[in-house]
Amino acid sequence: MSGSIRELQFLAKDRAALLWLGIAVLIASLSVFLGLREVAAQRTILDELIETDRAERAVLTGLYQDWGDVAYYTFHLTYDSPPEFAFAALGQRDTSPWKHRIRALALEGQIYETDADNPDFALIGRFDFAFAASMLAPLLLILLLHDLRSRERTAGRYELLSATAASPGSPWLARAILRVGALTLCLIVPLWAGGLLAGAGASKLALASLIVALHIGFWWGVCAVIDRFGWSSPVNLTALIGAWLALAVVVPAAIESSVEAAVPLPDGGEIMLTQREAVNDAWDLPKPATMKPFVERHPQWADYTEVGQAFEWKWYYAFQQVGDQTAEPLSRAYREGRIRRDRLAGTLAWLSPPALLTRTLQGIAGTSVTDSLAYEQRVRDFHNALRHYYYPRLFRDEVVSDASLGQRPEFRAMGE
Amino acid sequence: MMGQLTTIAQAEWQLWLRSRLALCTLLVFALLLASTSLVTALRMSEEHHGRTEQQAVAEETFLSQPDRHPHRMVHYGHYVFRVPPPLAMIDPGVDSVTGQSMFLEGHQQNTAMFADARASAELGGFEGLTTALVYQLFLPLLLIAIGHGLIVREREENTLVPLLAQGVTGTQLYAAKGTALAGVSLALLLPLAVMCAYAIAQGAAPLASVGVLALYALYLLVWCSFILLVSSLARSRSLALGILALFWLGTALIVPRLAVESASSAIPAPGKIETDLNMQAELREVGDGHDAGAPGFQQLKANLLAQYDVTRVEDLPVNFRGVVAQVAEADLTEVMNRHAEERMALEAGQARVAASFGWLSPVVAVAAGSRALSGTDLATHHRFLREAEAVRFDFVQGLNRVHAEQLAYSDDINRNIDAEASKRTRMSAENWKVLDAFSFEPAATSERLARASTPAAMLFAWLVMLTAIGALAARRMQP
Repeated sequence: MSGSIRELQFLAKDRAALLWLGIAVLIASLSVFLGLREVAAQRTILDELIETDRAERAVLTGLYQDWGDVAYYTFHLTYDSPPEFAFAALGQRDTSPWKHRIRALALEGQIYETDADNPDFALIGRFDFAFAASMLAPLLLILLLHDLRSRERTAGRYELLSATAASPGSPWLARAILRVGALTLCLIVPLWAGGLLAGAGASKLALASLIVALHIGFWWGVCAVIDRFGWSSPVNLTALIGAWLALAVVVPAAIESSVEAAVPLPDGGEIMLTQREAVNDAWDLPKPATMKPFVERHPQWADYTEVGQAFEWKWYYAFQQVGDQTAEPLSRAYREGRIRRDRLAGTLAWLSPPALLTRTLQGIAGTSVTDSLAYEQRVRDFHNALRHYYYPRLFRDEVVSDASLGQRPEFRAMGE
Repeated sequence: MMGQLTTIAQAEWQLWLRSRLALCTLLVFALLLASTSLVTALRMSEEHHGRTEQQAVAEETFLSQPDRHPHRMVHYGHYVFRVPPPLAMIDPGVDSVTGQSMFLEGHQQNTAMFADARASAELGGFEGLTTALVYQLFLPLLLIAIGHGLIVREREENTLVPLLAQGVTGTQLYAAKGTALAGVSLALLLPLAVMCAYAIAQGAAPLASVGVLALYALYLLVWCSFILLVSSLARSRSLALGILALFWLGTALIVPRLAVESASSAIPAPGKIETDLNMQAELREVGDGHDAGAPGFQQLKANLLAQYDVTRVEDLPVNFRGVVAQVAEADLTEVMNRHAEERMALEAGQARVAASFGWLSPVVAVAAGSRALSGTDLATHHRFLREAEAVRFDFVQGLNRVHAEQLAYSDDINRNIDAEASKRTRMSAENWKVLDAFSFEPAATSERLARASTPAAMLFAWLVMLTAIGALAARRMQP
């Protein structure tokens, strides 16, 4: 016990160690603060958008007498609100869309629109807790631990300290545990503060803390291995930073290249092109060429496929649907390819603990690729609901009424 | 004097060649640099060919469309692709985070779609390693690893006293050690020089390519001068290494991201959807160009009737519906462009705020300069958006002109009566030639050099400042 107090006193007097720990607290607090601010900004944007979007639809009510016009001109905002824990790992919300404005036309032409931030931001990346914990924390730990033994060796105290210790290695172990523990606390305390402020559940916070601690533990192991060689402090540090470079940068880059090579994706542009050709060709094709594939999906309208005039709205929306149907195999391949890439990357990420930590934190936060794809699916579901709302009205040639408009589906975010 | 300088520098080089650690790190970096350069170059040249071809196919497809009502072609639309410039094989810049293709159609401006970053795997933030990133972020680590002990080592090993006693002045020693480290940095620029030469062979502007090389040389010299300074002031190698590692952590990893956060909070820019929603009211005022009977176009109708001295729309020598389409598109585009320009101005402002962090971190400065010179910065993407919009407006208005001038009004309004009537509204496919060929070229060299001048000035200021402090420290060098 007196040993630990002595070590604590040593740590309190070790100015370099205090500097690194201070930086750790600063970085973690800053990242949590910036994450909270970003999430708040996204919420504000969404609140405003939801409001404007509703007002915009209200303006349109009563403007059109034809269901075809109503469906053509009415847009709906779809969105993915940032989850409570998103402040810690902003994840895909930087590059993938989390809001759309869609209407009942062919969806494939709309769903890939990306309302992204300044590209310079996505290029450099955000300063969130996931970045601090997975990329910066290992470097700080390395700086804390690299000269534990070698410093004493240089000072000529090593033999003495080892000889007088109760068991070999014990003073070093105590010293290391203290530093590792302090660093972990420096990271986790700001995380908990932010998490409680944001209302993230304790179980999520506990889980995140656990994996952050495990990650720190891993790097402690790396430091211990390098330490065994008995090199001088500068050599230790160089080797450790080399290890960081390999595990945090080179391995992920190699994984990325191999994942892209292993799972080819259909060109996104192809999907759009296919859909556009299908939609535009329909204008010149005989009407049954559109209605037949349409009815295959929607047999309930089989009795209403007669198109008497050169232009009828139901035919127009039918070929929008057929456009999506034509592009469906490509679109599915694109989506499944992204899922496969993500899964493969998830498996290979075990080769790079920092990448694994980032992915896990995003998973807990609900900002992973899976979550982004889930949002895309919710947009698809909503679009489908819109179609199912309009089809009866278009095919039975119903009259536009406020009562009928009142039944139109509204997009609901997850959990609402 | 000169002889001593080279002797000391040569001794340093020999020391590095004999040190397994220095050799090992050099070798690792050489490998990393070679593999990254190869991968980046292959990827970008593939993208270059792929997108050039897609652009040609898109144009061919548009031109080969059959006879149709011209407004159908307005909605059929067209695709443009942002072909990466040759220097993108060194610094792809925003290429991977911005969509590379854009669908152009009447009545709206779409966003660029299918950014690579969306389809790539998430692995922590550094997975998209490029040649530029290796130079910007990781080569300084190598310089730190081999250079931190330059002077402090002599101090630790008690060789500084004899050296200074032999008549070598502090300034000479400092200059010699600096030459040694600068020599290594310049050698490390060799792979970049090869890439630049290859880019020039691929059609890159020679001056801009040399500019890239010069910028990175300046950048590495900034690091050399800082490493040298720390090495001459520090009491021990451990301390020197600690300070350098901290500086690297701050300037390479932390400041760039803080720059992003500051820019986004200093200048909030509305997103595309926000802009779209905000301009809905204005767009309604313009009116729907599909609906020539809308009250908004009554004045236009009256003016036209008066101009041609007729009483009925049918008697106009032009197709009123086509005229409405033209006018509505022009007004609509004016509104959309105004909002788009506002948004781009805000984004450019954000980029300027972020780039001003170059005064705090040479990494930010070199990154901004490198993207500007390579023609892969935000300004280039904005130019792509503007050029694409010009193409869009031209072909849509070209088609609307055909609609107004060649298609009879009576045929037009009766097009849905039967197949025959519909056929009469089909204009010859010859008219689709209103579409201009699109090829996205890098900006003029002078423009790119001008955009890179501020970041280059920042690096130069860093170098001058560090060298000046270094010179002062060298004069008072104590063993």
